[in-house]
Amino acid sequence: MGSISARRLAKEYKELNSDECPVGIKLLQADDFETWIIAIEVLGETLYKDEKFALKFRFDPQYPISSPAVQFVVDEKYQAPLHPHVYSNGHICASILGEGWSPVLSVPAVCVTLQSMLASCKKKERPEGNDRYVRFAPDNPKKTKFMYDDDTV
Amino acid sequence: MKVHIKRWHAIAQWRWDTGAADADMDDGDDGEGDVCGICRVPYEGCCPSCKMPGDDCPLIWGECTHVFHMHCLLKWIGTAASKQQCPMDRRAWVTAERKVATTGS
Repeated sequence: MGSISARRLAKEYKELNSDECPVGIKLLQADDFETWIIAIEVLGETLYKDEKFALKFRFDPQYPISSPAVQFVVDEKYQAPLHPHVYSNGHICASILGEGWSPVLSVPAVCVTLQSMLASCKKKERPEGNDRYVRFAPDNPKKTKFMYDDDTV
Repeated sequence: MKVHIKRWHAIAQWRWDTGAADADMDDGDDGEGDVCGICRVPYEGCCPSCKMPGDDCPLIWGECTHVFHMHCLLKWIGTAASKQQCPMDRRAWVTAERKVATTGS
């Protein structure tokens, strides 16, 4: 407590538990200011209709100056969405989670961006080199240097 | 009926002059007014590193017209990840010179 992140996250916690929480987003677990789990679904006619996913956010004490580590949860209950920017271990290649991060972004803003990333998907497939990436991937997706070479998906 | 005022307390309020039109009207539902986009604390509050609002925790203006707590913005600009860009519009951050009204207009 007392860190920059705790005060900022306390405000975001309130927002996620209010009517301001974006549609299709639900805070599942936020026991501390280090790890949050958030349910996410994409509404409307998309390739992910009726599918439910969970996102894991990990914050360090410098959040929001430093970006959160965000990945899809992969366990007995949840799978990572089949998407050209999402590896089967849940890691996501999205510029706002890496070099495109800005401290004015927030947990709800990231969730909404990922919702629209899923909503605009035209073909359900894994990224190229998925197996190789997953085999050698670090635990923390922030340690991966992704190349953002596709703005269309 | 006549009313005699026996005693009164003067109460002062201050606000940073952010140049936003009708800042007084802009309080929204939470009554908090405008907040710093980085820490989400009202401009008139202080950044998370400070204890007292006011001159010791001032605001900083960019030429892009975006306003933040100075301490919040400097923390961001001090990181390599910021590429010295404004968090709002990702333009190169240039601190704006503020003309201070000295005549109290």
